Amino acid sequence: MIDRIKKKAEELLRTKQVDLIIGYKRAPDGVSVAPVFIDKAEETKELIWDTYCVYNLSNYLKDFRGRKIGIIAKACDARSIIVLLQENQLKRKDIFIIGVECSGIVDEKKLLSISPQTSELGFDERCRSCKPSKPPIYDVLIVQEGQRPQAPRLEKDPYGSVRKSEAKSISEKFKLWQEEFSRCIRCYACRQICPLCYCPRCVADQTQPSWLSRAHSFRGNFTWNVTRAMHLAGRCIDCGECERACPVGIPLRDINKKIEKDVKELFNYEAGLSAEQKALLSCFDKNDPEDFIR
Amino acid sequence: MPSEKFFVKEDLYNKLEELSKEFEIIGPRELPNKGIFYQSLKNTRDLYLGEGFAIEPIKRFFLKPSEWIFDERFRENKNILEGIPLPADKRIIISVRPCETRGLTLLDKVFDSDYKDNFYINNRKRTIIIGLACNKPAKNCFCTSMGGSPIESRGMDVLIFDMDRGLIAEILTDRGRELFASIGEGLNEGQRRLLKEDKEKKKDLVEKKLSPPEGKELDKIFESDYWEDVSRPCIGCGICTYLCPTCHCFDLVDERRKRLRCYDSCSFPDFTLEASGVNPRPTKKERYRQRVFHKFDYFKKNFGENLCVGCGRCIRHCPVKIDIADIVDKVPGLKKE
Ligand code: SF4
Ligand code: SF4
Ligand code: SF4
Ligand code: SF4
Repeated sequence: MIDRIKKKAEELLRTKQVDLIIGYKRAPDGVSVAPVFIDKAEETKELIWDTYCVYNLSNYLKDFRGRKIGIIAKACDARSIIVLLQENQLKRKDIFIIGVECSGIVDEKKLLSISPQTSELGFDERCRSCKPSKPPIYDVLIVQEGQRPQAPRLEKDPYGSVRKSEAKSISEKFKLWQEEFSRCIRCYACRQICPLCYCPRCVADQTQPSWLSRAHSFRGNFTWNVTRAMHLAGRCIDCGECERACPVGIPLRDINKKIEKDVKELFNYEAGLSAEQKALLSCFDKNDPEDFIR
Repeated sequence: MPSEKFFVKEDLYNKLEELSKEFEIIGPRELPNKGIFYQSLKNTRDLYLGEGFAIEPIKRFFLKPSEWIFDERFRENKNILEGIPLPADKRIIISVRPCETRGLTLLDKVFDSDYKDNFYINNRKRTIIIGLACNKPAKNCFCTSMGGSPIESRGMDVLIFDMDRGLIAEILTDRGRELFASIGEGLNEGQRRLLKEDKEKKKDLVEKKLSPPEGKELDKIFESDYWEDVSRPCIGCGICTYLCPTCHCFDLVDERRKRLRCYDSCSFPDFTLEASGVNPRPTKKERYRQRVFHKFDYFKKNFGENLCVGCGRCIRHCPVKIDIADIVDKVPGLKKE
């Protein structure tokens, strides 16, 4: 697979179809993977592809607006590219998508954790509820050869865990999230790593007026986390990057998933699944439910 | 002269239990599936004495992530400013890694030198630090390249060695001696030898190495494209700075008629954004370079040491695996071969 990726990347740069390739390379530690930006055809040798390629590289597209970019995209990454296109953040003609078929990536957090429960390679939780294994948008698709271990699916009920927490009492939920948010250090990594958090000036950074307290208190942390999640309603494609980036282990995907489920149930909408679809908040239907507006 | 004492873990837990009547006991605690966090320990049995490393350094008990520094209010028709009272309760922070305490000694140079920061100094004074030597440095630790080591005791009152059969405490200050007066016993010949061997062994445990550049050499490549290349993957979050035991930049904000001092990070775009709209560090290149230069050039020129203790946190927790040690090690044109 990697040979075909390298060959395509090399060709795109050599024939000047793109100025830059965004892909994956081995990190200095020799095991994990780091993002790489390649503008010389010879350097495409550095590219790699394996289950450690956790990043959603579409986050970097906004750094190179107006240039021709080739990007390596898994299914979840391609979904965020679709949302970026819908929201006019990218021009389709500026990007060349090298789609890769993916059977799941590792759970970095588990690899890092001090006392791992199992020794086997753990797939990331997000991969268990990932919809397609093929990117829903691409210019060339690199398919997988042979059999690879596949992340086990949660086909039956992808929202099982959401339902479980919905069943808890309000005070129980409040206590739980109070504990989780109390660890937040307001590093904003969850925002910075998100391909869809592209506002040039985030509401959290505004000081005049200041919308949320900068103090590391529950109040400020709560407002921040809820604001982030709500701003991604109908947009989040569950690449899980925020949760992976969060240094203090706040289960941000649980919040995202809850909103995703609401959007699905209310509007029968799932973000970033097809390039033809319009963005949720820019399509109005007179049959849209409104009984939750009070 | 440091003296040594031998005791078993059980003795230590009991001692802490007793001390908790007089002191707030702070130490690392393992939260399942989350990691290790320094917390005020309600139950001293929660103290984590294993090989793992806390995510956040102890910095936040001295330089708080956010600190109310004064209060402004109207009283008797007058607008008055009132300082926030300094806390006086005594604390013990235990099971602290050598690199983190070394980090405090670097912060001392900033907050307790020409400029005296009352908040910081007060927190330093009221805290006794009990360190724990490292048996198993993580793969990203590089303290020995930064002048430290897994057995360094700089800045501590007591340093504990975990020796399979029990603990040996090296008592370094009078405060420490007082604390440990009624626990354990002096070392016998054999134990003394064991400690010496253990120290020798631990010195060489750290595998990651880098050769820090001398300040004046970094100067020469201030304008190099190298900074653009290495900073490209950086997403500009606050992880590396907030989790660094030595980073100390802060911002001042007014909230509800109170002034707040809170952490700030050179990796944020608005860190140097001026009111006019001009930003002297407009891209990641300038911002990341600032991080490296502050640590390995400016601080060294001002205070004679690098502003990095090699704890590896910024590498361990960077969401895109940026490795400051690797970047500094590979700085172009500085290799001495
Ligand atoms: S990444 Fe985690 S700690 Fe950082 S701001 Fe987001 S929720 Fe808070
Ligand atoms: S933690 Fe990594 S991505 Fe975040 S600011 Fe630091 S170097 Fe950049
Ligand atoms: S720069 Fe990184 S390695 Fe050095 S002290 Fe700070 S967090 Fe630790
Ligand atoms: S860098 Fe690692 S080995 Fe060195 S003192 Fe810190 S934690 Fe221990």
